[in-house]
Amino acid sequence: MSKMKKIFVACGSGVATSQTVASKISNLCEEEGLNVNVEAVDIKSLESIIDQCDVYVSIVSTGANNWNKPTISGIPFLTGVRMEEEFNKLKEFLVK
Amino acid sequence: MNTFESLLYENLILLDYKADSKKELLRNLAAILEEHGFVKESYSRAIIDRENRYPTGLNTLGIKVAMPHTDSIHVHKPAILVAKLAHPIAFKEMGGGVNDVEASLIFMLAITNPECHVTTLSKLMSIFSDKGSLVSLYEASTKAEVIQKLNAILT
Repeated sequence: MSKMKKIFVACGSGVATSQTVASKISNLCEEEGLNVNVEAVDIKSLESIIDQCDVYVSIVSTGANNWNKPTISGIPFLTGVRMEEEFNKLKEFLVK
Repeated sequence: MNTFESLLYENLILLDYKADSKKELLRNLAAILEEHGFVKESYSRAIIDRENRYPTGLNTLGIKVAMPHTDSIHVHKPAILVAKLAHPIAFKEMGGGVNDVEASLIFMLAITNPECHVTTLSKLMSIFSDKGSLVSLYEASTKAEVIQKLNAILT
């Protein structure tokens, strides 16, 4: 059993979107039997905790994502458009 | 307890709503929430600022939506305002912030405690990936029908 991977989802105010995307991703991972911990975090605290995650799910503009972390977009998990593609990307990051 | 139902109010359902710009729309919708005692005076500015910094337009299939929201410190009492626009209004797309999204359906969120509403909000947002539900909601012709359709989708 591999170590549990950590996934962070961040949005502007942490009011709604990040939690929703986090719970969606968490459910998808559970269905696939992936051992992950998905957390919604506030963008303002991201800088100090980004090192703790394995994959970062971004909902804010891509220009601000200069983290040295595997990153996927959270938007497809809201709209359903290209969601599978983005989820596959996430899975690839997780097995690395 | 049906937490979603308690977030929907007939006087916060707006049909064929008209506005000339995104800013005017946000300001007017915020004023309606304030008038009914759901949000503080500071909400209006906060929602406009946040929409500029972190846009909420979503390029959904069928009907395009926007989901303006802001920090809970500006909110008195949680609610979801739903506005069906007479004419689409351009929002910036969430994530990129570059492309325009011609939104026809607005969900303005006034949330006090994100954690206790996350299930409800997730369910609400599940509509965004369901073209049929979005179109059906947009085609509702009365306030009661909007509430009934939203509840049906969410329970």
